[in-house]
Amino acid sequence: MRNYLDLIPISQKLHKRQSRMTRLSIALSVFLVTAIFGMADMEIRSQNAQAKINYGEWHAGFAFMSDEEAALLAQRPKVMASTRYDTLNYKLNMHYQVEGNDSVIIGFDESALDIFPTARIIEGSFPKEEGGVIIDENMRQRLSLNLGDEITLFVPDGSQKTYYVTGILGQFPMLAKADAYGLVLSIEDFRKLSLEGAQDNYDSYIYVKFSPWCNIQKEIREIQKLFQIPEERIGRNELLLATIGQSRDLSMMAIYVVALLLAVLVSVAGILMITGSLNSNIAQRTEFFGMLRCLGASKEQVVRFVRREALCWCKTAVPAGGLLGMVVVWGLSALLRYLSPTYFGSMPYFGISLIGIFAGSVIGVITVFLAAKSPAKKASGVSPLTAVSGNASVKSQVKKAANPRFYRVETALGIYHAFGEHKNFWLMSCSFAFSIILFLTFSVAVDFMKHAVTPLDPGTPDVSMTSEGNSIDKNLTREIGKVDGVKRVYGRSFAYDVPVQTQRGDKKACLVSYDSCQFAWAGKSLLSQAGTKKRDILSEVMEGEGILAVYHGEDSLTVGERVAVDFGEGERQLMVSGILSKCPFRVSDGEEILICSEDTFQGLTGEDAYTIIDVQLTKRAGDDVVRKIRTIGANTLGEKRMSFSDRRLSNGEVKGAVWSFELFVYGFLGVIALICTFHIMNSIAMSVAARRGQYGAMRAVGMDGTQMLKMVAAEAVTYGVWGMLAGCALGLFFNWLCFDRLITLRWGTAWCFPVIPLGVILLVMVCSLAFAIYSPAKRIREMSVVDTISGKS
Amino acid sequence: MELLKVQNLSKIYGQGESQVKALWEVSFSMEKGEFAAVVGESGSGKSTLLHCVGGLDTPTGGKVLLDGEDLFALDEKKRTVFRRRNIGFIFQAFHLIEELNVEQNIAFPLLLDGQKPDQGKMEELLGLLGLFDRRKHLPSQLSGGQKQRVAIGRALIMRPMLILADEPTGNLDSKSSRDVMDLLIRASRNYQQTILMITHNDNLASDADRVFRVTDGHLTDMGGKTYEKLS
Repeated sequence: MRNYLDLIPISQKLHKRQSRMTRLSIALSVFLVTAIFGMADMEIRSQNAQAKINYGEWHAGFAFMSDEEAALLAQRPKVMASTRYDTLNYKLNMHYQVEGNDSVIIGFDESALDIFPTARIIEGSFPKEEGGVIIDENMRQRLSLNLGDEITLFVPDGSQKTYYVTGILGQFPMLAKADAYGLVLSIEDFRKLSLEGAQDNYDSYIYVKFSPWCNIQKEIREIQKLFQIPEERIGRNELLLATIGQSRDLSMMAIYVVALLLAVLVSVAGILMITGSLNSNIAQRTEFFGMLRCLGASKEQVVRFVRREALCWCKTAVPAGGLLGMVVVWGLSALLRYLSPTYFGSMPYFGISLIGIFAGSVIGVITVFLAAKSPAKKASGVSPLTAVSGNASVKSQVKKAANPRFYRVETALGIYHAFGEHKNFWLMSCSFAFSIILFLTFSVAVDFMKHAVTPLDPGTPDVSMTSEGNSIDKNLTREIGKVDGVKRVYGRSFAYDVPVQTQRGDKKACLVSYDSCQFAWAGKSLLSQAGTKKRDILSEVMEGEGILAVYHGEDSLTVGERVAVDFGEGERQLMVSGILSKCPFRVSDGEEILICSEDTFQGLTGEDAYTIIDVQLTKRAGDDVVRKIRTIGANTLGEKRMSFSDRRLSNGEVKGAVWSFELFVYGFLGVIALICTFHIMNSIAMSVAARRGQYGAMRAVGMDGTQMLKMVAAEAVTYGVWGMLAGCALGLFFNWLCFDRLITLRWGTAWCFPVIPLGVILLVMVCSLAFAIYSPAKRIREMSVVDTISGKS
Repeated sequence: MELLKVQNLSKIYGQGESQVKALWEVSFSMEKGEFAAVVGESGSGKSTLLHCVGGLDTPTGGKVLLDGEDLFALDEKKRTVFRRRNIGFIFQAFHLIEELNVEQNIAFPLLLDGQKPDQGKMEELLGLLGLFDRRKHLPSQLSGGQKQRVAIGRALIMRPMLILADEPTGNLDSKSSRDVMDLLIRASRNYQQTILMITHNDNLASDADRVFRVTDGHLTDMGGKTYEKLS
């Protein structure tokens, strides 16, 4: 030992358990902050990736700008890339066609390839000369085209345009879903086409991508002023701007406020946990510090000792907590990559969230340093006399005797221990309360998710084939079902505008047939009926003894109501057996949707074929499977009669959004619940460890194990009850506040009491308390009375 | 009447070469109302003997019979209750409950036993201890001598058969030490309680009826007033 501070590692070795618990507490706080900030960072990155894929990498768009203005705009130092952009037949209602198939025509500059990551040329290049075109992969496959081949575009005015293929683009979800072709022309060729065609509403749009780190809103304002562009001619990519903290959209601002509030709450929770732990650690060693003073240490030396000791704990605890937090973030990234490689494939396996690490480390080290200040001062103030007089650790704090009049003495002592040290009581109760506040506040994200992202129904198909009328032979489902890579095939027959008589008068209805598979999915949205099982209702309909109706407001059909239908062979009465809260198709207002079995449909209409066939594919199925299905459909129905829809990419978009959000939200809640459990257990263990000597004396004078358990339980429950009361009060307030800002403001949904989140977190708290009480109480029961009273512990 | 019987009591720490025999084959017995002192060098095994006799520590071998009850044949819970009702402890460092006042500290074993303190008996005991005026004081408001008197009161309240005192005067000045000793002797005489006390002070040991010396874990009966009287 060269310096008195070298005593620190020796002291830590001697007080291994205390040191371990303090380190654990610091590590948990750092873990909490790192994991939550890291997860938020990852979520922002994933949202950023999704925004780029779904909407493009542009920040602002300006309508009706001349080429001169566009050129001037492109010259601005903060403009990284810009492109002129226009579309024709975007809604597929203008009859621009190639080989009889509706086609979307897009015109832009080559620089657009940097702005729209989905517009990725997989083969060839952007048209350099007049007459060049880029086509989408789907079109290339279906028309068996190669680079240099010519295509003929049929324009609505009856004329034709011929282009030669210079490049191939990847697939577009929107085009695949609508079974349309995509043609990209240079902006010059596009203008020639649109001016010669029927396009009279010419929209010239400039998309701009700004340099990183520039104040985008300020730059937009300057451009607006310079070119005198009215606000309604400016578009903003709000989601992308939000992910880089540059959105000024009101609802996005509300999200920022909530994110800031959550960040503050998480930081405060971390600070409270560390402060509580250090306070407890130093408080139980007052005697030791008194001894240091007794041996000649100055007050400043004791302060330095405590601070250095605290930083020593940080040396291992902060990296451990940070690493643990990062492991959680890595797990999350890996899961996102696995679930949706299309969207999150660019996420690194072992991505480092600098924000998470920075927040965790800074909050960890600064809090430890600041938190050590108060106990250090306290320790330096210990009189050298207390070190040798015994019972030093609690001497100064007891001002009033415990009151065993209302409870048994062990319970009274436990409650007194909790209330006895005011600072400790507040720190413990507050950190318990903060766990609840965090959980209740974050739980609003679940409601936000339910409003913001609609998950796919289990019956959502990957591929659909539609034909006019009920003209798809049912054998086609069997044929498609045999294709390797097809998971499930199901069809529906439709009868539109069916006149029906109901108790409320005459109406129109759409009659739809379901097979058993679709009935099973519909069961989830079947409204409950008292005394009848959903299974029985569905069996009744499947056996042809009833139909299902869909709820659409007060005018909806009711269970038991009879509906009369007439398909020309006399009136038939159908009984409504059940009501669905929703269904995957829409009809015009006031029209009823009636769902029946295939046999009932055939019995009523005399038709035994489908209007639509839906196909679900296995995970491994690729484009070849879709091509095979398409070929089978085209061969059976004829290419012209069949409408084909490949929804895989658009389903992927929805899935990606849902998964990333769910992982983020439930991950947060999981981490908070986990931290809450560990923190409660560690805090109670520390509190018990601080009174070890006293407990030993109590054991010596006759306190038995059960009484010991009751005493520890009384102390823990006191912290818990106060923490829960404060946590519920403040947590509910923050829950309401966040709900109001995030959901009510945007969707108008009124706040309701969060029964489930409150129940879950209270259950977690109660279980954690039970564990927290059981473990140290067991240790005290097993401890050597002799060792504890003679101070060997 | 024989109250305490210790038979071949041994306590060994460690194994192999690092084995330490803290107590080895110790046997002795004590009559009801007898007051014995245990003397010996530091580390000789005195405290280990006291802890084993009081059931705080588990011996490696041997038996401790108190009023015919084999202490270590009882399970942990029963032994705790038996100890609470029949053995009183007095420690050098007092080990009072800082959160309880004088009266509550003294009543603590009764409260643990689910009994309500008899106010008359409590006042009598407080009077005997000279703490009546300080009965509402917290331990932090007492002097060392007063603290030890509280600890003695706590040991006496259950009227135990046996009182074990581990250097009860070790932290006290000579006047307080004298007071404490007088109290112990008076208790022993008044309530017919058997007292086994560790001390380093030969003068205090001379007040005892018998003196045991512990040397390297072995116990020697040095005799005493009783021994002298009998002989």
